[in-house]
Amino acid sequence: MSVTRRSVLGAAAVGGTAAAGARLLGLDPARILPGMQSGAGGAQWASPLGSEKARVAHLLRRTTFGATLAEFERSASEGFSRTVDRLLETRPAPPPDLPAANGASAAGRLDARQLQLWWVDHMLRSPTPFAERMTLFWHGHFTSDFRKVGLRTPFVYWQNLTWRDMALTDLRSMLMRVTTDPAMLRYLDLSTSTGQNPNENYARELMELFSLGVGNYKEDDVRAAAQALAGWTEPRPQGFTDVTVDAKNGVTRRYPTYGDPATGVFVRGRAYKGGPLTFLGKRANFDAQSVIDQILAQPATAYFITRKVAQHFLSTRIDEQYVRRLGDRFRASRYDMKSLMHDLLTSPEFAAAQSYRALVKAPVEMMVHSLKALGAADLGRLAVQSSANMGQVLFDPPDVGGWPNNEAWISSNNVIARVNFVSAALQQVKAPPPAAEAVVQLDGVFGAQTAGLLNRARDDHMRWLLALASPEFQLK
Amino acid sequence: MSEQIGINQLKRRDFLSAGLVFGAGAAGLAAGYAAVPDAFARAVYAAKSNGVENDRVLVMIQLAGGNDGLRTVIPLQDPKLHDLRPKLADMAVSQALPISDSFGLNQRLKGVKSLWEQGKLAIVEGVGYPSPTFSHFESIRIWETGDPSRRQVDGWLGRTLAGAYDSLGHPLTGCACGATDVPGALRDLQATLTVINNQKAFGFSGGSEVEAAVGALYKGTPGIYGALFDTAMATAQESVASLKTAAQSYQPKATYSDAQQLVYSSKNQLAAALQLAAELIVTGTGVKLLHVTLGGFDTHYTELNRHDDLMGYLDSAVSAFYQDLSAHGVADRVLIATWSEFGRRPKENASGGTDHGAAAPLLLMGDPVKGGIYGQPASLTDLDPTGNLKFNVDFRSVYQEILGGHLGADPKEILGAGFDKLGLIKAPAGSF
Repeated sequence: MSVTRRSVLGAAAVGGTAAAGARLLGLDPARILPGMQSGAGGAQWASPLGSEKARVAHLLRRTTFGATLAEFERSASEGFSRTVDRLLETRPAPPPDLPAANGASAAGRLDARQLQLWWVDHMLRSPTPFAERMTLFWHGHFTSDFRKVGLRTPFVYWQNLTWRDMALTDLRSMLMRVTTDPAMLRYLDLSTSTGQNPNENYARELMELFSLGVGNYKEDDVRAAAQALAGWTEPRPQGFTDVTVDAKNGVTRRYPTYGDPATGVFVRGRAYKGGPLTFLGKRANFDAQSVIDQILAQPATAYFITRKVAQHFLSTRIDEQYVRRLGDRFRASRYDMKSLMHDLLTSPEFAAAQSYRALVKAPVEMMVHSLKALGAADLGRLAVQSSANMGQVLFDPPDVGGWPNNEAWISSNNVIARVNFVSAALQQVKAPPPAAEAVVQLDGVFGAQTAGLLNRARDDHMRWLLALASPEFQLK
Repeated sequence: MSEQIGINQLKRRDFLSAGLVFGAGAAGLAAGYAAVPDAFARAVYAAKSNGVENDRVLVMIQLAGGNDGLRTVIPLQDPKLHDLRPKLADMAVSQALPISDSFGLNQRLKGVKSLWEQGKLAIVEGVGYPSPTFSHFESIRIWETGDPSRRQVDGWLGRTLAGAYDSLGHPLTGCACGATDVPGALRDLQATLTVINNQKAFGFSGGSEVEAAVGALYKGTPGIYGALFDTAMATAQESVASLKTAAQSYQPKATYSDAQQLVYSSKNQLAAALQLAAELIVTGTGVKLLHVTLGGFDTHYTELNRHDDLMGYLDSAVSAFYQDLSAHGVADRVLIATWSEFGRRPKENASGGTDHGAAAPLLLMGDPVKGGIYGQPASLTDLDPTGNLKFNVDFRSVYQEILGGHLGADPKEILGAGFDKLGLIKAPAGSF
């Protein structure tokens, strides 16, 4: 199976097989676009985004996890701008309660798998999947992991509820909230810092990863912020409960119990008492809120957040002019996330040909979209099991930088893992929908190889396998 | 070695030529889109006509998060350490495994200590670079690219793969074990390499029909990621085939265990990753450059036991690995080296941990090294304005030793300049 230059380029030069594949699948060939344009620019996906229907599908792939056919038809009949408005204006459907979450310590502990499944199930079933997509975005941005935060407290669960509630609020509220979020207080150690001998972990990442970006502050600013932020500690538990940890030897341990989700507690005795500090060029008596306000007074913050949002939802090849255009409006809107998302989704760049299939689906997006397309919302467990070998375990990002994106999801390991997920899912789906739906999921835009193979496939099972394992489906 | 390796030969440069076409159409960009060429559209390196021909292997172990050098190679006689670290210093010093009057290894580095006794451990003290950054991500990138000026985008090992091993054209020449994505050190547009997270899952579970079908799917894929997708799939299929053969002829001759994974954020199975590395080396897959990671070194809080556990984990995995290589008679070919984005702050914080630091020692292990201490330990009294250790050895000096002394590659071509020589490799394999 020697792969040669000729076979690579030869495949790229063949254009006409897409329509043939579509005929076999019983679709109107007129709706099928050729998968590629060969020209001076090389083989690029032929953008169908001139059509409103295709723009709606593009919007749903970017802002949800891909839609079921019914969701797609509904949005297509609403049209692009009304769909944008509905996504932005509909309140998130709350996830079902996670049993025993707040009594985590009494029940022993949260179960990581159960927590992951609880969320994936909600991604699969929620009537407001945009809220879940935004929650996933913030989970990767203001990130924490269950390994360090632990599962004896409901803190990682609370953090998930928080980002769902706050996903489209304003950055000022979010920055204050993340500073006092119990999981974050533990994850980046602010809860054990003191003004006298600060732990710099949170102060640094607040600026580097959450707001300003590296290069927009100095080491002196990290030190000053660490002093000013000290004093916030974990919320006080409602009570304590004795848990048997070793039944044989009768060993019990005392663990805290918690009621409703709470934020951190400020303890004056642990705070900095040294008077004025100089932070980002301003000398004043700083506390957490004024640290955040001083961060928000820097234009770099609006650009940093805009750039990150654009790279997640639009393209990694956004220029600085775009970032400034949207970033300036973001800052003028008092950092309103809903306005920023509205600006982004309705910007001409979002529907430009260069935006089409310009992002790689993260593993969770790929799996949820697959299961939705297959009508297999009951296979959330398979998605949870498959996620580690694809590199995206929910509540357990690789590091404080959250998950990488795009190119990082493409490796020899990950292409195998994605194909294996598709194989396993199809093994468990008794009666998949007609494979023609897969063609709709992919806008009818196929590369020559995919089109040819779909055309020759012996049954719908194989067609689904090819469609979901195809490079086309890995993109959004 | 010639190009004829394996039956299923992969012609890597073919993909890349095709890949370059995809990114070239920067004309006609809509407003708002950057015209900068993306990663797939950069110029091709000139292919090397004669690649490196020897059987040397390098295994880089990344201690991710910033390893505390002062708890790895511990100054035994410096009272200043106890002033700076009232909670962390006493136990570390009293329980250290002495290697000289002045220095001891972390108490949990027992296997590494025995390598020291056999003259198979080189410690390079005070390693860093000028104007250090305290950002994990920036510093990781600097170490990965070997470029503190931040201009280079390809990894130093990726450039080695592309430049020195070009004629091999074999996807297992470079391999990241125990990872799902390509580590930055191995990244290079021109380098074909394999990523294997878990050997058991590295194969097509749907059977040969699925494997053949998806192999056919990923050819001539359009778009900016097309070449990357196609290369990843072809590499995967090639490597799966090689590994099937390798697995049949390899029996570990040491006990690898990941049972010590007690440390909260060690997300990597280091022992399993090194066992896979051993398999690739022992079975003659042609592997040259291997990369594995152990995370959890960002010890901002309760560092005392946490860091000791990490040292114990590292020690047990490396000891098994070395023992396995020795028992298979290949230890003379393999250099094992640690790296980490920075050391930690000499002064401890309120959480009983340490914040981001700068210079730290590196460990180079195996038969190819000349045992001893190289470089100069950083001073605890002469700290930089941020309260951190000043470096005495540029990290690229260590890379230079590895590339020139061990691998027999041309360090200057890969690093772009020459650095102070350390002389820690026993018998130079090349003309360096």
